[in-house]
Amino acid sequence: MGVFSILRDGLARNRLLGLILAGFALFPVLSGIMDEPFWNDLAMRIMLLGMAAMGLNLVLGYGGMVSFGHAAFVGIGAYCVGISQFYGFDNGWAHIAISLAACGLLGLVIGFLSLRTTGIYFIMITLAFAQMLYFLFVSLETYGGDDGMSIDRADFMPIDLWDPLRLYYLIWAGLVIVSLLLMVIVRSRFGVVLEAIRGNESRVEAMGLVPLHFKITGYVISAMICGLAGALFASWQEYVSPDIMHWSRSGELMIIIILGGIGTMAGPLIGAVAFLLLEEWLPELMHLVAPAYAENWMIIFGPVLIGVVLFARGGLVGLLARIGGRRS
Amino acid sequence: MSVQARTGPVLSLAGLNKSYGALQATGDVALEVAAGEIHALIGPNGAGKTTLVRQIYGSEAPDSGSIRLRGEEIGHLSVPQRVRQGIGRSFQISNVLADFTVIENAVIAEAARTGDAFRFLRPAVSDPVLVEGAIKILSRVGIEGRADTPVSDLAHGERRLLELALALASDPALLLLDEPMAGAGPEETQHMIGIIDRLRGDVGILLIEHDMDAVFRLADRVTVLVEGAVIASGTPDEIAGDAAVRAAYLGSDDDAAA
Ligand SMILES: Nc1ncnc2c1ncn2[C@@H]1O[C@H](COP(=O)(O)OP(=O)(O)OP(=O)(O)O)[C@@H](O)[C@H]1O
Ligand SMILES: [Mg+2]
Repeated sequence: MGVFSILRDGLARNRLLGLILAGFALFPVLSGIMDEPFWNDLAMRIMLLGMAAMGLNLVLGYGGMVSFGHAAFVGIGAYCVGISQFYGFDNGWAHIAISLAACGLLGLVIGFLSLRTTGIYFIMITLAFAQMLYFLFVSLETYGGDDGMSIDRADFMPIDLWDPLRLYYLIWAGLVIVSLLLMVIVRSRFGVVLEAIRGNESRVEAMGLVPLHFKITGYVISAMICGLAGALFASWQEYVSPDIMHWSRSGELMIIIILGGIGTMAGPLIGAVAFLLLEEWLPELMHLVAPAYAENWMIIFGPVLIGVVLFARGGLVGLLARIGGRRS
Repeated sequence: MSVQARTGPVLSLAGLNKSYGALQATGDVALEVAAGEIHALIGPNGAGKTTLVRQIYGSEAPDSGSIRLRGEEIGHLSVPQRVRQGIGRSFQISNVLADFTVIENAVIAEAARTGDAFRFLRPAVSDPVLVEGAIKILSRVGIEGRADTPVSDLAHGERRLLELALALASDPALLLLDEPMAGAGPEETQHMIGIIDRLRGDVGILLIEHDMDAVFRLADRVTVLVEGAVIASGTPDEIAGDAAVRAAYLGSDDDAAA
């Protein structure tokens, strides 16, 4: 089986994800017709957050590892761009390579130290590492400390990013690559073993495999995907601050995954769409209905999330599948 | 391979001890399983049978003593290392991959057996090479007909068979079976007895079983464990006639073992 037939096969099994990616490809046409350039901006944010959530989903959904610190990898990915530029290093491709390497290495170290624990201890250790990195960057005055650092849109030779639409498609291409990569990995021997470990680690050991090796590898891949999202995020936001790795950002990624459908291919992306649209619209809606509470749109969002968790097992993907009468 | 490795026992335990606080779960146990023999380990509830199996398997460390597989000390090895050295295990409580289908369970076991599980590209479950090996794994216990069934839909007995198939998947030299018929119906038990019987000669089996009928039909040798210690070891006939065994385990009334 060649690479192309593997990819074709993967896409055929993940029509929903293919559909969403196609939707993002065509979306700028719509926002162009409607003359709403801000929509593209929102779509880019959705894609970036969706990409990070997809990375986390590999360990959280498929591997069953509840990592509560993945925003740290997004942050490190973004800071790699900022810091590279700080030292006069401008090539965007190199930034991405540095982000991937740094997050891979960091994922290896954190994974190695934390994956020996499980359950609540694992959650706490990953959170602790993320908090350490957060406060490290708060204290690094050289790189802006609390205030963060501004970033120039990087130089992605030969693509000149002066046109925001080019950045849009750069992000889109990154999302497509990540999607295809995960699609293939999840069905490979490695991916199947990772999923088996989630359900029954001792049986996998009894087969003569070392679960830790698979978990660490999955953790590294996941960290690198989040790093890529972070690197692109830096170019999109043209700014990075420690806020990007605040623990609540890690929580947001988990919420997105649960909302969209944990352990599914399309779930994180659908979750990101739903999450950011709600975040965008709920305050406006509240303004109309109850202006005094507009700040507290989370009051509505919380129950929505609880509703999804309680009544839509499998998140929005599960809901869509039930409506469509078939599994995606 | 040494001469002993070819002709000696597949498993030999010597001076094995394990205590949980004041409780001696394993007391100076010595035991041998000859290559290809079925060696039954019996004893009342809480005698320390599972604890002993866990020490052989590597999920529990003994306080002292030696564990040799084909003459080589394995006490320092991890569980996966011991599995790769030739130990297969079925668990007292069913332990299969419950979220997967029967064939997927076997495909993963086959990928593990061939040592090629670290691959990221080709889909595993539709890989013809793996599927072929997986069908072989399933047919050893006769459940290849249930290949596409999700494990959650299997009858209890079929689950036990799948578990046995997975334990055999790595072609072990020593098979640790912890109550393989537990909870199975009479027909399933007979089926399982037939399958274990046919393994005789291919693989050394340490069989923990409470069903005395099964034990006396299958075992070449029987070892009796009471409160962590071996109180008798011998052929089924010797054990059935052993006064200490009858007193301590089989009950003092006559013909309990018949
Ligand atoms: N991890 C542990 N900590 C403390 N005590 C333990 C532990 N594991 C087992 N024991 C004790 O060791 C003794 C032997 O237990 P084990 O499970 O080996 O018995 P068994 O012979 O397999 O019994 P059964 O026939 O009921 O399966 C029991 O008294 C049990 O309570
Ligand atoms: Mg037991």
